[in-house]
Amino acid sequence: MYDKVIEIMSGIRPDIDFMQEHKLMDEGLLDSFDLVSLISELNDEFNIAIRVTELKPENFNSAAALVELIKRLQSS
Amino acid sequence: MPVFRFSNIRIAGISSVIPKQVIKTESYKGLFGSEDVDKFMQMTGISETRRTTEFQTASDMGYTAAQRLLSEKGIDKNDIGLLIFGTTSGDYRRPGSSFIVHKRLDLPVDCAVFDINLGCSSLVYGFQVAASMMQNSDIKKAILIVGDTAGKTTYPKDKASIMLVGETSVAILLEKTEEIEPVTGLLRSDGNGYRYLMVPAGGYRNLNASHEPEIYHDGIERTLHHSVMQGTSVFTFTITDVPKLIKDYWTLTQTSVDDYDCFAFHQANGLILQQIAKKLKIPVEKMPLTLSKFGNTSGASSALTLCDRYGNAPVEDINVMFNGFGVGLSWGVFSVKINTKDILPIIEDDSIFEEGIIRSASEL
Repeated sequence: MYDKVIEIMSGIRPDIDFMQEHKLMDEGLLDSFDLVSLISELNDEFNIAIRVTELKPENFNSAAALVELIKRLQSS
Repeated sequence: MPVFRFSNIRIAGISSVIPKQVIKTESYKGLFGSEDVDKFMQMTGISETRRTTEFQTASDMGYTAAQRLLSEKGIDKNDIGLLIFGTTSGDYRRPGSSFIVHKRLDLPVDCAVFDINLGCSSLVYGFQVAASMMQNSDIKKAILIVGDTAGKTTYPKDKASIMLVGETSVAILLEKTEEIEPVTGLLRSDGNGYRYLMVPAGGYRNLNASHEPEIYHDGIERTLHHSVMQGTSVFTFTITDVPKLIKDYWTLTQTSVDDYDCFAFHQANGLILQQIAKKLKIPVEKMPLTLSKFGNTSGASSALTLCDRYGNAPVEDINVMFNGFGVGLSWGVFSVKINTKDILPIIEDDSIFEEGIIRSASEL
């Protein structure tokens, strides 16, 4: 799952090293267009529905945080 | 759940008016850079929009659209018993724009007139309010006008919104009939999202709000008197709650995607509509898009899109689903059978109600 998340993120923003970055939101590296693309692709790929309540920086700061979010949504 | 059912109301005419001024999205490349503008165009599908002139308002275009309906459909203005204007872009704080149109159309005093303060859902709400009032009164004909000029309250350097918004007004003629299938509508709201789309100043909460530009949480400069959108929250709400609404509507009406000829949906942006269509398995040919030439034109966008597709089409009855969603948060749906002869082609108009421009006390 981690590799797929990295692949999706890199497809949206090839200029960011998502394996190294851990403060994507805190440092404003992703804009709203990046986020909506990311949410669309993650929803489709992992058959989840990311809701407004999940739009917290800690869920989007890194690929690892996103993997945790996806797992939580898949098990709920 | 607010479910509406009407047994005797039909849409007898739709007329759309756009302003003449064309704003090419590419023209923002000097301000925002080629990369950001190209990304915007790719995601939203918006190549150009239409904008009003300085003193031109939604009521100007709404008046022209309504006047055209009365004229082309041969309607006696004295038969109009209800006029509703759905807008967040009123001519004044008060009175509502509906009264300006009432005067200009010279409608009778025996006519109920008021505004509905809604944006992208104003058509679906306005229709259900108008139809409800008609069903419970002796009103035989009503006019619903929907329009916004959101570009006027968008900060010129706001790259999240300034390329997105277009301006238009539409007028819809409703009339009582015994010759049409029942109509069902469904409305929803969530005030928890009141901050997702707002103009923070200009109301009565803070009459002395600053006009100074500030840098907002998204790094974009605006003033409190300009619109601000939490784009990611709006997107997330839309791609989950709107498909759910439509699925609930299909269950309620025991219909499916195959029962509709056209899905006239609010033209929010390309990515949102793509997601909604995918989740509902709506074939692309049944969901017309006008984003490329008009952008996001608020509540009128679904009817504008219908006029674009069917304004010059061969005469036939079509089953149309209307859907709107936006500021509030507010969203809704209804479906009706419309004859394409009642859908007029889009016209351009920049005429202005000069008497309405009040520059000093001496003009009152």
